[in-house]
Amino acid sequence: MVAVFGTLGYRPKSLIPTIRSTQDVDKVVFYCGADRHDSEAVKRVAEAKKGVLEYCRAMKIAVDAVELEDPFDFKRIAVRIRGDIKKHKREGKEVAVFNIAGGTRPTSSAALLACILEGVPTVYVHDITYEEIRLPLLRMEYSQVLSTEERQILRTLLKNKSKGPTEVELAKLVGKHKATVNHHLKNLIAKGAVRLEKHPEDARKKIVKLEESTELLLGDDD
Amino acid sequence: MKILISTFGKDDFDKVVQAMRRLPYERLVLMGDADAMESKTHSVIRDLEEASGHEVTDELVPEAEFMAVVDAVSEIIGRYSRDDSGRRNDVVMNISGGDKLLGDAALFAAFRSGTETYHCDERFTKLPVLKGLTAKDRFTPSQVKFMTRVDGPSVSFDSLVDSISPGNRQPVERVMRELRKSGMIETKVDSGKIVVSLSDAGAEVARAIKTI
Repeated sequence: MVAVFGTLGYRPKSLIPTIRSTQDVDKVVFYCGADRHDSEAVKRVAEAKKGVLEYCRAMKIAVDAVELEDPFDFKRIAVRIRGDIKKHKREGKEVAVFNIAGGTRPTSSAALLACILEGVPTVYVHDITYEEIRLPLLRMEYSQVLSTEERQILRTLLKNKSKGPTEVELAKLVGKHKATVNHHLKNLIAKGAVRLEKHPEDARKKIVKLEESTELLLGDDD
Repeated sequence: MKILISTFGKDDFDKVVQAMRRLPYERLVLMGDADAMESKTHSVIRDLEEASGHEVTDELVPEAEFMAVVDAVSEIIGRYSRDDSGRRNDVVMNISGGDKLLGDAALFAAFRSGTETYHCDERFTKLPVLKGLTAKDRFTPSQVKFMTRVDGPSVSFDSLVDSISPGNRQPVERVMRELRKSGMIETKVDSGKIVVSLSDAGAEVARAIKTI
């Protein structure tokens, strides 16, 4: 199954060219939403959504219109989109392309972020000519740039996020010597992936915290 | 020196101020188009900076196609990454200002260059760019050398051997196989000779390597 993903703002024409130019599309998934306090924006997004839905129905393509609760919540949108891409991949569906031209600025940027992390081909559509502009695929595969131990530490911290282990507790959790874990922690701190915080009850101890951004990096299920 | 680079549009006062409040910096650099730099918002930000004895540095990013904007932003990041004496500056970037294309291009450039990046709006989001990790870090030094030598649309394998490791085909062949497998290059046989070209992904990596 071939799926086209996209973000939608006011103009169906910013998304439809990608559906047309992709071979054998079985499904379209698009993300839209407007500021609820802006009635004009709500109306225009609803019209655009209707336009894409009608086009897909006429072309007999399955469509999933995802209404974003808050189209300005960058992190939540990025997590949602990345999760959906992963789900499609797990189900053996091919995400042929992601059109990031429409929608609010945070929606578009969040979609680009998800594409970079998941290695999905990405396109823009020109504002005036509606011509598609393919972006060169930039995939950051962190398995290539983080060591096995670093990844193990990050995963362990994610699993124990609510607890916030100390350095000694973390060493126990990963089954390695404290000095070894400290060495890897230093590297991870330099990369901005984790930080150390003071222990609330014992000034001699430090709590290891995962940066919020690292959660976005790791995704939810790998 | 701590440098805050922010994308900037003429109505983005709140976004830039959020970044200024949340991110420690000593020098503020605004990236945007001419309209943004001539706006009232810009003069208010400039006044705020002057009140603290500093200046705002403007970087004009002309409207262009996406990758040209990515290259322009990458060049700006690269320029501020080191001071005149060659010492490394601590650069952070905010991508919430400016138009959609500029923000997305800045995000793309951040991943290229491994620049710590934030999306500062009503919510403050640190983006998952690992500091210092660039597109280049995904490849071995030999692979980087190979890709940067494939200049122009295509190059003969023999000339690559001559330029990388004269008289020693085997290691260059190995690198070529690795890069072909990872989709960075394409090869074909033309008049009995192997010709190498960069794939779209390989071309992006080569561009990134040149700008970082």
